Amino acid sequence: MSVSIAEQPGSTGASPDLALTYWGGVKAVFGLEMRQRLRARAWYIMLLVWFVVIGLVFLLASVTTAATFGSGAILFDLVVGFVLFFGLLVAPGLSANAVNGDRAAGTLAILQITLLTPGQILWGKWLASWVASLAFLLVSTPFIFWALALGGVNPAEAFVSLLMLSVELGIVSAIGIGISSLANRPLFSIVTTYMVVALLGIGTLITFGLSYALIEEENAEVTYSYLDYPADTDFSVTPPPEDQLECVTQTQIQTVHHTERTAWLLAANPFVIVADAVPYGRGFDVGQMSEPANADVYRQPGIMESISEGVRYLQAGPDYDISCDEVQGYGRDLPEDRFPIWPLGLVLQSVLAGGLLWLGQRKLVTPARRLAQGTRIA
Amino acid sequence: MNNEYGGIVARGIARSFGSVAAIRHIDFAAPPGEVTALIGPNGSGKTTLLLILASLLAPDSGTLTVGGVDPMQDAAAVRRRVGWMPDTLGVWESLTATEILTVMGSLYGMPVGQRRSRAAELLAAVRLEEFADQPARVLSRGQQQRLSLARALIHDPAVLLLDEPASGLDPGSRVELRATLRSLADQGKTVVVSSHVLSELDEIADRAVFINRGESVKNQTLDEAGTQIRRYYIQAEPMQPLADALTSHGVEFEVRGDSRRAEYQVLVSSADEAAWLLRTLVMADVAITAFAPAGGALEETYMSLDTDRQ
Repeated sequence: MSVSIAEQPGSTGASPDLALTYWGGVKAVFGLEMRQRLRARAWYIMLLVWFVVIGLVFLLASVTTAATFGSGAILFDLVVGFVLFFGLLVAPGLSANAVNGDRAAGTLAILQITLLTPGQILWGKWLASWVASLAFLLVSTPFIFWALALGGVNPAEAFVSLLMLSVELGIVSAIGIGISSLANRPLFSIVTTYMVVALLGIGTLITFGLSYALIEEENAEVTYSYLDYPADTDFSVTPPPEDQLECVTQTQIQTVHHTERTAWLLAANPFVIVADAVPYGRGFDVGQMSEPANADVYRQPGIMESISEGVRYLQAGPDYDISCDEVQGYGRDLPEDRFPIWPLGLVLQSVLAGGLLWLGQRKLVTPARRLAQGTRIA
Repeated sequence: MNNEYGGIVARGIARSFGSVAAIRHIDFAAPPGEVTALIGPNGSGKTTLLLILASLLAPDSGTLTVGGVDPMQDAAAVRRRVGWMPDTLGVWESLTATEILTVMGSLYGMPVGQRRSRAAELLAAVRLEEFADQPARVLSRGQQQRLSLARALIHDPAVLLLDEPASGLDPGSRVELRATLRSLADQGKTVVVSSHVLSELDEIADRAVFINRGESVKNQTLDEAGTQIRRYYIQAEPMQPLADALTSHGVEFEVRGDSRRAEYQVLVSSADEAAWLLRTLVMADVAITAFAPAGGALEETYMSLDTDRQ
């Protein structure tokens, strides 16, 4: 080997002058991670499988809803829901072995021996796994635009949906990175991340359901109205004209549930966050629906919109005054000044993801004082 | 804590993992401009010590300066000065050899132009130019080992820590590694090498630190090692005249059984005595066919220590 191995013969190293800026380090880790991901065949196979699955769901759904008015909106909602669902399945796999996988391959110590700080390593790895999961969103865009082209979805709704999907993928990626830094084995961290995502997606529903008994109010006085024909209606004329219907009001004692006290449990649910953040074209609908029940004009809400509506009902709590309009199927008038639930959800999820990243960052601090039993730093 | 003296000074280093004491008490010094060998049986704490020197592990107790800086006070300053070649290769397999070196350069904050030229220079130095644009996974173990050495040198460190650098290398590459390490030491760098191949270390190391069961048991220079009592083995054709000659001069010998051919082993206290013995035997018309030290100077020390070689 040649003697030119030192930069200047006789130098004891130009190295003490070296400096790494914070974002320079993040960028370097990000670039390193992306290069490795882009060269892994598995990622492309997953993208292909994803494309095929979303495509099949989309085609089946478009055939099913073709006859419905406003099928574009329903289809769009469905695609968003599915992309979120599959995204929650894919994102942990793309992130939850990023740190301990490197540890197992012996490459984590190579990063730690350089000027990188634990924060830079985690930032770079998180951004890379987020971008990798955004690729799945990108692959889904043909279907999203197809559904948009069918009409009925306003651009704001589409934009916010995509934005919130991206945010959710980012949060799940952050959870995965944090856990992969904390857990020793990749398999363990991937399973744990899936469990956490399941906790958010299903655990929130189960907790909400189990707490239902706790928010019961017995003997609540509820005013209940319904339409009825007056007692003197002549039923020999069939059908009796609708304008003879009268609104009858009576008071009942019944059990109600104070869901407004527990609705926040649902806030951490990714589906609730995405669904609730999207500004649906409700204003447009109200204008159309001021006419009495007209099946042609009535717009069926899609999956995500239904979730959002449902959550807002739960947030509003028991309905002590059920009006005739509500019975007619116009839906309950919700107080407009309700604070939407999705910011709370984002805060809860961000605290969870941030906390895991913070703990993970502590685990990467070198010189390391404590190591988990049975692990080597390199 | 900064001092002018580069190199490595460690005193009373201890480190345990849970209830397992990996290092009990190690005193270690590696002056600049010399190659220091770290010798000990498997599991004696060599890798743990190198991890501590590389600022990846914190010692439980003891004082330590690497390149004049305490890694517990300023790890970044130590990292600017230290190049570390781990015993596990830890190669980014999908990256090319050039990319591995340039990425590594970027992690030390080297500007683009500098890291490119440095990568090309190092690839040439470790004879991997033809693999410059090949992904690292196609490299053989020995080639990856050489790439790993180049990676440790990317930022021109003043202190070089090499954990088993010779394992997996073919004889030609070992000779080159030796030349490289010597030239680095001659440039004033501090080079620490851990290895099992003691005969290799004999030729490149200036001093050696022997550790066993997490303790530094001996610290000697090669010159010291050369002056100690050493075992020589002697073969003759036939063996009987040799035995007679040795007996008549009062030299004690034993028959060594671990070799294919019969040979006698004698203890010689100095090079002069060895020369005297050989001359005497030849003058006595014993047909000597082999007369050599039983092992390298370091091996001699290693074998004389109470080590657990089981």
